[in-house]
Amino acid sequence: MSRLLDILRLRIRSLTRRDRVEQELDREMRFHLEQQIEENIARGMNPGEARRAAVRGLDGITRIEEECRDMRRTNLIDDLLYDLRHAFRALGNNPGFALVMILTLALSIGANTAIFSVVNGVLLRRLPYPEQDRLVRIFTTNANYPKFPINAWDFLDFRARNRSFENMAVMTRSDVQLSGAGEPVRLTAFAVSGAYFRVLGLSPERGRDFDFRDELPGNGHIAIISDRIWHDRFHADPNIIGKAVWLDQQSYTVVGVMPSETKHPGNEYRAIPYGDSVDVWRPFTFQGNPNRRGSHFLEGIARLKKGVSPESAQGEMNSIMGQLGVEHPDNDAGWKVLIVPLYREIVGSSERMLLVLLGAVALVLLIACANAANLLLARATGRQREIAMRLALGAGRWRLIRQMLTESLFLSVAGGLAGSLLALAGVKVLVALLPGGFPRAQDIHINLGVFAFALAVTIGSGVLFGLAPALQSYRVDLQNNLREGGRGSSGSARHLRLRNALVVSELSLACVLLAGAGLLLRSFVNLLLTDPGFHSDHVVTAIVSLPNDTYKNDVSVSRFYDQLVGRLSTLPGVRAAGIGSDLPWTGYDDNLGGFEIEGKVHPPNEEFHARYHAATPDYFRALGIPLIRGRFFTAADAAKTPSVLIINQAMADKYWPGEDVIGHRINFFSDHPKESDWTRIVGLVGDVKDTPEKGAAQPAFWWPVAQVPFPAQEAAIAIRSDSAPLLLVNSIRNSVRELDPALALANVRLMDQIANASVSAPRFTLFLVGLFAVLAITLAAIGTYGVISYSVNQRTQEFGVRVALGARPWDVLRLVFAQGLKLALIGVAIGIGGALALARLLRSMLYQVSAADPLTFSAIALFAFAIATLACYIPARRATHADAMVALRSE
Amino acid sequence: MSKPSDLIQGTLDLLILKTLSLEPKHGWAIAKRIQQVSEDVLQVTQGALYPALHRLEQQGWIRSQWRASETGREAKFYFLTKAGRIQLQKELAQWERLSHAVGLITMA
Repeated sequence: MSRLLDILRLRIRSLTRRDRVEQELDREMRFHLEQQIEENIARGMNPGEARRAAVRGLDGITRIEEECRDMRRTNLIDDLLYDLRHAFRALGNNPGFALVMILTLALSIGANTAIFSVVNGVLLRRLPYPEQDRLVRIFTTNANYPKFPINAWDFLDFRARNRSFENMAVMTRSDVQLSGAGEPVRLTAFAVSGAYFRVLGLSPERGRDFDFRDELPGNGHIAIISDRIWHDRFHADPNIIGKAVWLDQQSYTVVGVMPSETKHPGNEYRAIPYGDSVDVWRPFTFQGNPNRRGSHFLEGIARLKKGVSPESAQGEMNSIMGQLGVEHPDNDAGWKVLIVPLYREIVGSSERMLLVLLGAVALVLLIACANAANLLLARATGRQREIAMRLALGAGRWRLIRQMLTESLFLSVAGGLAGSLLALAGVKVLVALLPGGFPRAQDIHINLGVFAFALAVTIGSGVLFGLAPALQSYRVDLQNNLREGGRGSSGSARHLRLRNALVVSELSLACVLLAGAGLLLRSFVNLLLTDPGFHSDHVVTAIVSLPNDTYKNDVSVSRFYDQLVGRLSTLPGVRAAGIGSDLPWTGYDDNLGGFEIEGKVHPPNEEFHARYHAATPDYFRALGIPLIRGRFFTAADAAKTPSVLIINQAMADKYWPGEDVIGHRINFFSDHPKESDWTRIVGLVGDVKDTPEKGAAQPAFWWPVAQVPFPAQEAAIAIRSDSAPLLLVNSIRNSVRELDPALALANVRLMDQIANASVSAPRFTLFLVGLFAVLAITLAAIGTYGVISYSVNQRTQEFGVRVALGARPWDVLRLVFAQGLKLALIGVAIGIGGALALARLLRSMLYQVSAADPLTFSAIALFAFAIATLACYIPARRATHADAMVALRSE
Repeated sequence: MSKPSDLIQGTLDLLILKTLSLEPKHGWAIAKRIQQVSEDVLQVTQGALYPALHRLEQQGWIRSQWRASETGREAKFYFLTKAGRIQLQKELAQWERLSHAVGLITMA
């Protein structure tokens, strides 16, 4: 131990008390010298002779001292400090060069860090549930519905019969209006089965969790509230437990308050994304006839037992579903169970997008490294003579390599620091730009892990781009360099080959990025050019919700909508005012299956099904959905008149291919239909897809709001106006208030905003990949320019001689271009080849454009080639100005 | 056998440690002592001695102290540390093994 302390003490001393240590070494040597002189005198020499002899004996005292210094083992640090000073001076002599290097590195390291922080937050960070790997989402699936909610009674059987899960639960969104605590407010709420929070591994910070007794009909008038509304609406009342709150005008007893870090796991049906705020949970109560299992609206979530895999759980669940298919053939035959790990469900499609972005930004970094290596090599070539000189004077080659690496690391660290600052700002911008509904956006932060990544990238790239010039310096040919004066030597030919290779790789990597950006651009343009099936301009929309209690039955609901539409239609500037169950492109996906079509028989195990909606007469006109045949609803389609239906083109094509659908009839609810049970199709409207990038619209139909069999408590208002639609918002709000002062208007949006939001994910990807591609081709252009410019400098004399011998500027231009364009051709060819191979990864993100789209690829090839030509042009023009006299004189 | 490179690798360390095991000495005295005891066979040059001393010091086998020499001038004296003593035993044992082995071969 004491030995280690001794060593440590000495090392520190030699570092911190350098002068003192040096003095001591000097004194020690001097003492030795004097001893020797004394001895020589004692042997009979005269003092002068004695001194000379002694000094001779101490031959090479500098070398001895140097060796003693080496023994201190602090040379590495000394040299580092020296190299840093040297690097700083060298770069300071050429600030433009240093600035370009640091700037390009800062941009690429910053971009990498920013993208990584998103990847880190979204893909790498764990979900805030204990043992998240055991959490899964449960869906049902059959031939028609690939991923569908669960039936309540099926769920109870799953729960009773399975052996795979520690706990299972279901949830379904059922928003409520909270009144009696400040202004009435609409809150996001879920009805959940007993073990819901236990599945997630969460528990209330106050009060109790739900249990299975709460699922029984009549026990359900209790609620657990979020920490947020406990603070905002109840002033963090410590005695909140047991108090009554008014939800949808009914009294509920608060039994618990969830902690603030409670995160909603995300749901699919009437979706609330992961992490968005949910404020009220109520028990889901199981009621009705357990043998009627046709309706699917519950979303399953469960915690696997330790050691059970999702696959084996799915196997067990499928065999239970098989039993249920036998027990309830009408409803349950043909269904299977789909189990998706919660993490996968939340991260979903964003994973591919993020990995593509990470790949793109990594390519930018590679190009920046190639570029930096290129610029450093150019400088190293200029410094060959200096290096050869130092080698000749006895500098170690390893020492020189270390010095070059210090220089490149100095640059990369400066770039990394600036890049980290850029990333700090960049992440904020990125998060703000993220497409709506992007999973886990709130989890994206710059943290230690992100900084560690930035550090690793910084060091790694510094070594990467410093290695080539460093190793080149190792191979400097002393003889040639010193003799030729560092001009046009064989060493620089080798340099040039390496630099050419670097330029080719820069160009080809940039081509890969350009091709990716090009494909995304075409796909995005296709999306924008696709006919959405409606006209979003001049349309304002809003959501209005009617509390269950005031609007108890279909009559009161439809009367309200009727009155509201009447008022809205008469507002000045309104061209058409409609109310419907939903708006296009807002994630609505309510499906109805099992109806009967007059004169048709459905294939076995595949019932008739379609999306169901409701609409008032002017709903289609307001949204600009075209009528193809028949008529829209009218005020005459009332509750007591014969029931009618409007269907879309997709439904017509699916069930009546090639027929005129007007007048055909559907029966929804009766096994033995009377004449009055039949609903007649009166109109055919154009298709609106679920989301713009979907391949085709789903079959869908609309009931008149006055005839809809399910009371629609929540409805969407759509108003087309003559002028700026936002001017109408206040009048709309007033119209609602005049009818019912307790109602609030929610989610006021322009239809244009909804349309915009639905392409925000492709726009985001396109924006970033495009940005990276521009950065990449700029770097590649700098690299090309650097190499050509350098080689023009090298050949100035040659060009001068040529001009003197009568070459025209065009001849010289051609010579330079020949060299540059050869590199460009090779680079672009390799790049396009690589892009063709990599574009497959983009396929799932492309809309109506092939991953090998010939137009995109040829355009990109031409563009990259044009940029490279431009980068050659400037040095080429300089070459044509080569002065014959100057050239000859300097020879 | 006058040049240090002729000394078998590591032998100089052994000689220095052994010399210092009796009493602290400065560099000059160490060189003299080795020369005398070896009856002038072993002459350690300064070029080998001082780097070796500095190395041994950096390894913690010996420590140094400035004090007055026999002539009254300040000199840098080296002395063995506890770790150095143990190291000396090791090196001695190793040396004996080696010289025994060499002896076996040359006598054969």
